[in-house]
Amino acid sequence: MLSKNIEALILASDEPLSFDKLRTLLERVEPVESSDVRAALSSLEEYYADRGIQLKQVGGGWQFRTAPACANIVKQLWQTRPPRLSRSMLETLAIIAYQQPTTRAEIEALRGIKVSSSIIGGLLERRWIKVLGRKDVPGRPHLYGTNKKFLEDFGLKSLQDLPDSSQLMEANIEQQEKLNLPEPTESTEHNEHEPEA
Amino acid sequence: MQQTAENNVEQQMFAGMETTLPLLPPVQLDSFEGPLDILLQLIRKQKMDIFDIPMATITSQYLAIIDSNKELNVDMAGEYLVMASTLMQLKSRMLLPRQEVDEEGNEIDPRDALVAQLIAYEHYRMLAEELDEFPRIQRDVFKRSVFPESEHIERPLPEADLEGLLAAFGQVLKRMKSEVLHRVVLETMTVREQIQFVTEALQQGSKQFHELLHGQQSREALVTTFLAILELWRQHIIQVIQTQNNACITLILSVSNQTDIGAKPNA
Repeated sequence: MLSKNIEALILASDEPLSFDKLRTLLERVEPVESSDVRAALSSLEEYYADRGIQLKQVGGGWQFRTAPACANIVKQLWQTRPPRLSRSMLETLAIIAYQQPTTRAEIEALRGIKVSSSIIGGLLERRWIKVLGRKDVPGRPHLYGTNKKFLEDFGLKSLQDLPDSSQLMEANIEQQEKLNLPEPTESTEHNEHEPEA
Repeated sequence: MQQTAENNVEQQMFAGMETTLPLLPPVQLDSFEGPLDILLQLIRKQKMDIFDIPMATITSQYLAIIDSNKELNVDMAGEYLVMASTLMQLKSRMLLPRQEVDEEGNEIDPRDALVAQLIAYEHYRMLAEELDEFPRIQRDVFKRSVFPESEHIERPLPEADLEGLLAAFGQVLKRMKSEVLHRVVLETMTVREQIQFVTEALQQGSKQFHELLHGQQSREALVTTFLAILELWRQHIIQVIQTQNNACITLILSVSNQTDIGAKPNA
């Protein structure tokens, strides 16, 4: 019965259901052990692993989603396709995800080009990023970080679930350290010829 | 094309750093996201060593690309020009003997900072590509309520046509005929009164067409009420809904008029 209840709760919930929330809801009817809930979740996850809908842990909660393999057929349901993400948007998002909290100037320094307001605005609008606060430097620029919605929409359990950036660029990272990568904000050492932001 | 391009590059590399002849870019850039992106694409597509960038070659290739993209928008152009001057400066510094040394006495390559910048950028460019491949909601995977805005969607109710309404009225009248009426006093009703009646009835919620006419005793009352309904419909105060042909006709107040209690006067 526990499995059935869990399954039903996750399906009926309009947002990913966190473990705690799930437990609290179950507790209202009868006492449950966390370990039992955990076991039920993983057996459900396993049960659905090879089906058209899958039980996924995203953004700190559990949710039913269609299997990526079925994407093409599911898309036939609707006329409109989600717009492709531009490279500038993706790059900006990647920098924010890995460098958070970060400012627009820091993103611009990394990308070597101005980050337009429409990019930041677009990311804010999708609720993938949010303003975390202001950096204590002249101008008090906004500090950006990713939102829970980012994890949900990209199917990530948590930020730790992001690809390991060091593994991705192993060889280059070493070099980066050797070269003592100039900090975007206080870059004066080696780069007199550097373009001034 | 690719072969000649590579030969071209090789020739340039062997020709030495001094070459200042502008040469056409040997690679076609798909599109670019800023000066660093152009440089990286040039370096990677020509398999250049990023730690030993041939400055003369890359500078002239870069300038050629900038030149052929004069229509770059003004806002963006600034960064491209700054990079152009950086490259030219580096190119000339490469020709001079190294004067700068670090604490350990090693020569500092003037290209170091640019290389670091390029590597850092490439790093994030790869992460961005990686991120794009994640199964994304609404592109690769879908959840139960697919459209986040679905709560706000107002689904239009199927609208009935005048013909349907007239047909329904005809049926009511037909039913009337079979009833024998004994009426002595002639009731005089106005459309205006009936508008008030219909609006008030609908304030309580939607009503079926025949439900609304049911209480009306006389043919005159029926006709007057029907006229009131038509008038309200014409003024968009009510909505007339029929889900399919010959089905029941439902009347409801238009959303925008639900608070508007007073009935509009007869036109």
